[in-house]
Amino acid sequence: MARARRGALVQCDPSIKALIIQMDSEHNDIILEELDDTHLLVDPTKIEYIKHELNRMLSKNIYNPMDEEENQ
Amino acid sequence: MTSVDDEGLPTKTKVRSFPAMSQSFFSDDESPATDDGEFEEPEKNNDDNNVIDGDDVFVYDDPSASTTKSTIRLTKPASSGRKTKSKRNAASGTLSQLAAKDQNFLYGGNNDIPADFNPDVVTSMFKSHDFSYLKLRPDHASRPIWISPSDGRIILESFSPLAEQAQDFLVTIAEPVSRPSHIHEYRITAYSLYAAVSVGLETDDILSVLDRLSKVPVAPSIVNFIRSATVSYGKVKLVIKHNRYFVETTQADILQMLLKDTVIGRLRIDTDKQQQQEQQQQQQQQQKSKTDASKNVNPNDVEAMFTAVVGGDNELEEDEDDIDAVHSFEIANESVELVKRRCQEIDYPVLEEYDFRNDHRNPDLDIDLKPSTQIRPYQEKSLSKMFGNGRARSGIIVLPCGAGKTLVGITAACTIKKSVIVLCTSSVSVMQWRQQFLQWCTLQPENCAVFTSDNKEMFQTESGLVVSTYSMVANTRNRSHDSQKVMDFLTGREWGFIILDEVHVVPAAMFRRVVTAIAAHAKLGLTATLVREDDKISDLNFLIGPKLYEANWMELSQKGHIANVQCAEVWCPMTVDFYQEYLRENARKRMLLYIMNPTKFQACQFLIQYHEKRGDKIIVFSDNVYALQEYALKLGKPFIYGSTPQQERMNILQNFQYNDQINTIFLSKVGDTSIDLPEATCLIQISSHYGSRRQEAQRLGRILRAKRRNDEGFNAFFYSLVSKDTQEMYYSTKRQAFLVDQGYAFKVITHLHGMELLPNLAYASGRERRELLQEVLLKNEEAAGIEIGDDAENTIGRGGNAHKRFKSKAVRGEGSLAGLAGGEDMAYMEYSTNKNKELKEHHPLIRKMYYKNPKK
Repeated sequence: MARARRGALVQCDPSIKALIIQMDSEHNDIILEELDDTHLLVDPTKIEYIKHELNRMLSKNIYNPMDEEENQ
Repeated sequence: MTSVDDEGLPTKTKVRSFPAMSQSFFSDDESPATDDGEFEEPEKNNDDNNVIDGDDVFVYDDPSASTTKSTIRLTKPASSGRKTKSKRNAASGTLSQLAAKDQNFLYGGNNDIPADFNPDVVTSMFKSHDFSYLKLRPDHASRPIWISPSDGRIILESFSPLAEQAQDFLVTIAEPVSRPSHIHEYRITAYSLYAAVSVGLETDDILSVLDRLSKVPVAPSIVNFIRSATVSYGKVKLVIKHNRYFVETTQADILQMLLKDTVIGRLRIDTDKQQQQEQQQQQQQQQKSKTDASKNVNPNDVEAMFTAVVGGDNELEEDEDDIDAVHSFEIANESVELVKRRCQEIDYPVLEEYDFRNDHRNPDLDIDLKPSTQIRPYQEKSLSKMFGNGRARSGIIVLPCGAGKTLVGITAACTIKKSVIVLCTSSVSVMQWRQQFLQWCTLQPENCAVFTSDNKEMFQTESGLVVSTYSMVANTRNRSHDSQKVMDFLTGREWGFIILDEVHVVPAAMFRRVVTAIAAHAKLGLTATLVREDDKISDLNFLIGPKLYEANWMELSQKGHIANVQCAEVWCPMTVDFYQEYLRENARKRMLLYIMNPTKFQACQFLIQYHEKRGDKIIVFSDNVYALQEYALKLGKPFIYGSTPQQERMNILQNFQYNDQINTIFLSKVGDTSIDLPEATCLIQISSHYGSRRQEAQRLGRILRAKRRNDEGFNAFFYSLVSKDTQEMYYSTKRQAFLVDQGYAFKVITHLHGMELLPNLAYASGRERRELLQEVLLKNEEAAGIEIGDDAENTIGRGGNAHKRFKSKAVRGEGSLAGLAGGEDMAYMEYSTNKNKELKEHHPLIRKMYYKNPKK
């Protein structure tokens, strides 16, 4: 029998998709369906969490000269 | 501020908003509204006064105005003002802890807020960075600089008509921080002032020029800083004449102080007191005439001040030098070290100068520039800093790669005309230096010796040139008989001049050894990138000398001395498979994954094809040897890395230079510095040494000397390929910092148009990509590493990172004791590892440096 679930469609780069999949891998409670390389269907309640986590992970790859000055 | 105070309405709003602000500023519960009203009145009057006589006199140095203020004002506001001040001090105090060491001088940045300073509505937003108490001068628009009172940063409008002269001056007294096209940033530090004094600037000159250029009056904190830093630096000189050491100073009172000093006074040698007195009398007369001469300069004429201070043509400077009043006393050779140390302690560090024209003890070297040799204006300028007063000063000259550092060194050697020793980083550059010497000047080949591991012949004449490497000279381990003989030769004689090439790569300890082992009168350090990731640069100040000159990259490229370069960062998205693996792997393996990213490979392939069609000669750089081989083999291009035999290297390089069929070569980091290829016009970087700013600059240097640079509309290209969303992005930005500061702009390319349409594009199908991924995953971690140890010369002083990452290679195995003792049928075997390489890696000096690093 067909079953309906609410979901949020996320469109992203393949690499971001990989990051979300990695987040999902612990509890399997984020992704509802992997649609294709750039689209995912996710749990709408987890959107904020995903945004926050992505921000955290991606900011690791950004170099900010100001940070360094403060650390000196 | 005037605009607010002069009108009634804004003042009112200000009074209303003041109570809210006072909570953050004042702890007392004084009625702020009345206070404010009270000092509003005199403030207004003063402003009016200032407007009236503001044309000739600037607000801050109008003593009458300030006295009226203080007399009129009541006690209450004064006390609140003081509290504001102390609050501010606390804030700036914590700031200063973060600032560099020499900035300590400046920590009281905001002590100087005048008592009458009237905080306005927005003051609180700026906290300790509110400098509005420094009032703009009426003609500020025509003055190009602003100096930050708290940290000595100077902001220069480089579009101002005065900018060019201001730049000349600022390069002398401050460190260039960032020099893009419109706004430049400099920073005054104790070192830079030290350098300024060493090239002959006086405290008052510095202050008056700064004052003239500045949009606002120079803050007292800056004035104090400059005074405190220059009052002692460079006032005492150590001069070698006839191989006797003299301590010299231009100020008699300093000399008196030194003589009274308990340590130095005793070390003095009394030589012909009478003669000295006579000299002094003469000098006093001369001093008089000198002051007369300097008075002739109209202090209001900015241009005249410039020529007087910066000494564009050196006319004035030389005149002055001839009649410079000098007081000196002699010290014994053996006490030089003691005197130096003592002078350092009492804050009068000695400057070392070499009076080579009067040195008759050391035989002259017959060396002169060939008439055909042309010196470029900036090379001349850098040398004029070195030989400003007819003597040779020790110091460092910073010129971009390809801007002719070698020629600067050679010209300096030709000026001094004494025995010269040149130290460089690798045996390849040893040969290049020798060849350049023979090419540019009249030095005879028999006077030109080379000291490397396979060439130990010395010159037989009484003076000459020796070219060697740092590692040969600094080596402390057992030497062969031949090289020991050469070392004895080098240390046993007195050298007029030592040239230290690529000074930024050599560890301080190694330097110290070299400098103490070889007795040279003057030292010249040459480099393109005076940056190090380990902040050891400041050591050079004391080992060689201050930075004498630093060229502006943008200016040189505008004038066509170095090539115009378009820089681009190409973002290559990771494919899904690769990125998933990337997220799973450890740091080392990650690196391999982002380098081998198929999209990156495709981008590289595309760029190579595109530029080959344009007729460019391309160099592809990869630090990672595995990737280097993979890329080069797949694309069918020749490659060179550490283990490539010399013969093959030469073959490849020659083909690249002269063969139309070979337009692309792949180089590992052996190509960073030592390989000189003026044919190259395009550079692609696929992997690099973490965040090394220096490497980026050195690599850019490979194309700066492009032969075709003066063709109409010629551009060289520098591409840095970066895998998106990976650690590489971080390193890439960090690496670019130095070049960005030099004024280069990196364009970001997110998509290469037409890449997908490229015929025979590699890894176009998913299957091929998966195969590549499998292959990469099977590689062990070693492959991810950056090439090391292949030529130790090239790794001198590189950041400790690479070495630390290579953990011990020892293998733990299980075996019975009997077995190990030979009880079972087991044989020991000697593996053919090169012990020399291991030794080189564990050279005590290098080890010392690496162990020191983490502590810092």
